[in-house]
Amino acid sequence: MENDNDFNPQQSLALIESMINKAKDRFNENGHLYLLWGWTVLLCSITHFVFLKFDVMKEPGRIWMLTWLTVAYQMVVLSKRKKEERIKTYTDEIRGYVWLAFVAMMFIMIFLMAKNELWDRTYSMFLVLYGMPTFLSGVLLRFRPLKIGGLICWLLAIVSAYVSNDNQLLLLALAVIAAWITPGYLLRAKYKSETV
Amino acid sequence: MFKELDPILHSQLRLAVMSLLIGVKEAEFTFIKEKTNATAGNLSVQVQKLKDAGYVEVTKQFKDNYPLTTCKVTPKGIDAFEAYVKALQDYLKVGK
Repeated sequence: MENDNDFNPQQSLALIESMINKAKDRFNENGHLYLLWGWTVLLCSITHFVFLKFDVMKEPGRIWMLTWLTVAYQMVVLSKRKKEERIKTYTDEIRGYVWLAFVAMMFIMIFLMAKNELWDRTYSMFLVLYGMPTFLSGVLLRFRPLKIGGLICWLLAIVSAYVSNDNQLLLLALAVIAAWITPGYLLRAKYKSETV
Repeated sequence: MFKELDPILHSQLRLAVMSLLIGVKEAEFTFIKEKTNATAGNLSVQVQKLKDAGYVEVTKQFKDNYPLTTCKVTPKGIDAFEAYVKALQDYLKVGK
């Protein structure tokens, strides 16, 4: 680009518009973490349900310990992503804080439930919480499948009021398919098509 | 009466840099270079002028043993950019 001062107001505005679009239109969500967590929760919820129904294990809930492995892997992915990041947008920052708020709320809720031994309706609460970051990420990324996924989580949370605790595990599986796995694959496809 | 166009911003490369930075929190020098198709030398000079005017903040650090330069627009830069766009709009209104 030349460093030329001889350009008119129309050219100035056209230049401003094109440069703003170059930064704005970059789509940097490849759906990787949505798929990672989607498949982890799907695997854990279905396995937990099967273990409960067929009385396979004394404490079938232990399957959820798998999520710690996912957390460790996620740390590696996030640190790699941070290293590769060449630009920081306000949207990315807010989205990061939305997910951080979600994690904080999940931990506090699990702590309170463990402390008071109130494990009944745990999954209903999970469904309510899953909806929040999913829906807001959809708004921030302007990506409708995530918004729909968030709404489905909240709908399933209402449905869970009429379902037994064990069967709520199936609602959880359904929720992650709608909120994380399906949008995750769609995000991956969009990312690939826009970065080629 | 026309407002004088800010000479710091009324230059293609400096305006391109400011327009890129205005919508983001911060960007690496290599990203700006890629998007503006400028040479590293020319871009360095123009970024320095924006820095001297107080329109951008430049941070130099190391990442994996490589030097890393990041730029972000300052509140003064945002004000100047907005005033520049307003002045352009005034020109275009009169031109119609």
